[in-house]
Amino acid sequence: MDHSFDANGLYALRATLAAHASELGATDQQIEHLIIVGSELANNAVRHGGGSGRLRLWHHGSTLYCQVTDQGPGIADPTVGHSRPDPRSSDAGRGMWICRRLTTELIIENGPDGRGTVVTAAIPAPKIRQPGPDALR
Amino acid sequence: MTDAVTTDAVDTGDHACLTFTDAEERLDLVAAFVRDGLRSGQKVVCWTDTISPDGLADELTARSVRPRAALRRGQLSIAAVSGSLLGPADVTAVGMVKVLAGEVATAGREGYRGLRVTADMAWATRPLAAAGELMAFEAAVTGLLGEGRLCLICQYDRDRFDAVTLAFAAKAHPKTVAAQVYFEHPLLRICRQYSPPGVRIAGQLDYRHRDILEQALTESTRLDRHMHLNLAGLDYIDGACAGVIVAAAMRLPASRRMTVTCRRAVATVLDLVGGSAAPSMRVQQAHEQQP
Repeated sequence: MDHSFDANGLYALRATLAAHASELGATDQQIEHLIIVGSELANNAVRHGGGSGRLRLWHHGSTLYCQVTDQGPGIADPTVGHSRPDPRSSDAGRGMWICRRLTTELIIENGPDGRGTVVTAAIPAPKIRQPGPDALR
Repeated sequence: MTDAVTTDAVDTGDHACLTFTDAEERLDLVAAFVRDGLRSGQKVVCWTDTISPDGLADELTARSVRPRAALRRGQLSIAAVSGSLLGPADVTAVGMVKVLAGEVATAGREGYRGLRVTADMAWATRPLAAAGELMAFEAAVTGLLGEGRLCLICQYDRDRFDAVTLAFAAKAHPKTVAAQVYFEHPLLRICRQYSPPGVRIAGQLDYRHRDILEQALTESTRLDRHMHLNLAGLDYIDGACAGVIVAAAMRLPASRRMTVTCRRAVATVLDLVGGSAAPSMRVQQAHEQQP
């Protein structure tokens, strides 16, 4: 799956993610986690990463990989999301915390030419089908 | 043209039309109408059509009304419209008005200070139903309301009735009962819930509608001692909006409670943004809907 999106495409992005993960045989809970993580990363790209982005989904072994790329100014702190935001405040900053809690690995990198951000999330999905390596890449 | 009001603004002498497309909203408004009637010592009659009397009693129970005790003491009556309002013989407007007048007289004899009646008018959409008699009934019932002992809410499903009948219904009823809607879109609906009181949100909710969510929660915080957030129809919530809900719960004093009904995916996000750390917040799982 390789899907471009902007603010108006977030609903469609979630539906597409669910359909692809279901096709892979992911469980309902794995699909829920994938949608939560993929949507938070996509929301970040729309809000802070230039208004649009690209989401790619693939699996390797029993792990789903969800990668979101944007063309924004980049994330200054690649360790963002490691500390729990204050629940009494409704300030932003919860997205990366949520993503880190639902993934086994969250890698934040600069874009290839130094512009934009690439975030790759790994979500455990032990029951997905194994038709071949990197089937949906 | 009729005035749109909420159920707490109808009283004896009122004849109101409840038009709806969302079954949840209809049941919510009916529950609030029944609850308020029972609390104020009136007799309440529900004539149901699309769901059985037992089913309606269950729906009322699910909305924090206690129908069973009221049914036992005779303050509440729930019956199928076909065996009550419509009577055993041919359906006529005169016959229906007579049935209603009989209920008013009975409630008076039993010592109730008023009678609240709500009727599901879906029967008139069935093949061979005497739909014309419905319109005649709505016009003729005005005489009974003048006595100031009856309050009548007629329920019309906008998806079932044709536009001509709906236009007539709107004209025949001096008042229209409707839920307060904060936001309406095919993919998101945020409206006030009346029984139990709070907010109902269905669809998909993300940062783009955070301001509307805050407005709805602020109003519920102001109006409701205990807030009920019905998110059973919510498929998705992002961290920003979940954070707004948890922050609202954290601001409640210890004597107040926020009960959230939601599916697992929404509960997961609420928990991750600190829902379990909010002492006033209770999250209860709604049944998962089949796609």
